[in-house]
Amino acid sequence: MPGSSGRARGALEQEVLGCLAAAGRPLTTAEVQAGLDGHLAYTTVMTALTRLHAKGVLTRQPAGRAFAYGLAADMDEIPASLTARGMRRLLESGPDRASVLASFVADLSAEDERILSGLLEDRAHPQDGGPA
Amino acid sequence: MSVAMWAPILVAVLLAASGGQLGRRLHPAVAVPLLTFAALATALATGFVLAVAAFDAMAMLAPVAQLGHWSAAAVRPGGPPSVLLGAAAGLTVGVLLVAAVRRATRLGVDLGHAVATCRRLGPDADGLVVLRDDAPDAFVLPGVRGRVVVSTGMLRMLPPDERRVLLAHERAHLAGYHQLYVQLAGLAAAANPLLRPLAREVERGVERWADEVAAAEVGDRRLAARALARAGLARAASPADSRWGLALHAAGRPAAVGARALALLQPPPRRRRWPAAALIAVTLVAIGGAAWTGSTTEDRFERAQADYAVAP
Repeated sequence: MPGSSGRARGALEQEVLGCLAAAGRPLTTAEVQAGLDGHLAYTTVMTALTRLHAKGVLTRQPAGRAFAYGLAADMDEIPASLTARGMRRLLESGPDRASVLASFVADLSAEDERILSGLLEDRAHPQDGGPA
Repeated sequence: MSVAMWAPILVAVLLAASGGQLGRRLHPAVAVPLLTFAALATALATGFVLAVAAFDAMAMLAPVAQLGHWSAAAVRPGGPPSVLLGAAAGLTVGVLLVAAVRRATRLGVDLGHAVATCRRLGPDADGLVVLRDDAPDAFVLPGVRGRVVVSTGMLRMLPPDERRVLLAHERAHLAGYHQLYVQLAGLAAAANPLLRPLAREVERGVERWADEVAAAEVGDRRLAARALARAGLARAASPADSRWGLALHAAGRPAAVGARALALLQPPPRRRRWPAAALIAVTLVAIGGAAWTGSTTEDRFERAQADYAVAP
């Protein structure tokens, strides 16, 4: 799959949304392209942005000769019960809940923390101890 | 009580002792469906033989025999050795049935909440819901069309390549119906507490499964491990208030993040045959035991009714 570099259906759109949400401000196509993993073609990113805008998920405003895309405003108007915290409270509080939420990461034990910290430090010094 | 009657109970004990171990030797995409099937089949088989034992004991009581038009004496051989043992079986199956029904009810209520929440989140744009929340959090909300819910706090913590891992992991949960396996195994464990280790292994397995799918999608296992590490540490560093809901049963959650990260640093799990064959064989013994019990009990009662017709 040229352009989308092996991404599953809908994956690129989700990544674009994630990128814009992380930035917290409107971004141009080039900025979004730079904020995504892998070497995606400019047109691929532009297509995804246009599609999301057509669905009403994104708003856009002119920025120079291009457009800057931002998340549609209704994200701010989400009721309090629909925060991540609110959902957890609704669906996970109490010992006999069915626990229908699947969390990416659960709470860590001391051992987990040691392993995970070590893993991230590895990256900071990838050449450490390796043969030349 | 015949040997066949004990088979499902023995299988449940065997699975409690070694089912998790067998599951961990399999690729999670194989382990999760197999363990769920084993748990469900064994729970049903155990419930069935216990119910038959209880029925047998009752059938030996003279008034019941009168009512059913069978000879109480003819029922006895092959039935439970004593009415007391049968009564114990009846009590057990009753308690377990109540536990299973309570669990199913709870699940129905929780799933109802989840589906209602999905609906309130509006039309499904891209399956991803971003919530403005500084506390790093990410989970899958099950529903007819479930959603991936991620907080802005979590998205900001991760570089683009690791965000991709996170999203791929959550999508794998939805695409693979992982919640279905977890909840079915949970129901089986409610109906037969011996199967709890199996249900825990299924919970662990779906996380590993989604990790493997995500690692394959980004084509970099170390990157997938790093995403887990950064997300896990970010979450641990956020104020406990935002995670109090999870903290309540964190102890019961087997999907230790450290172990998952270490598994990603290893080569991908191989697809072994023998643990799968062993799991299937053991499960078939449980099913066979229940089926055999059912058919012999029917024969026994037919004979007892014939005896009753001759000499009531």
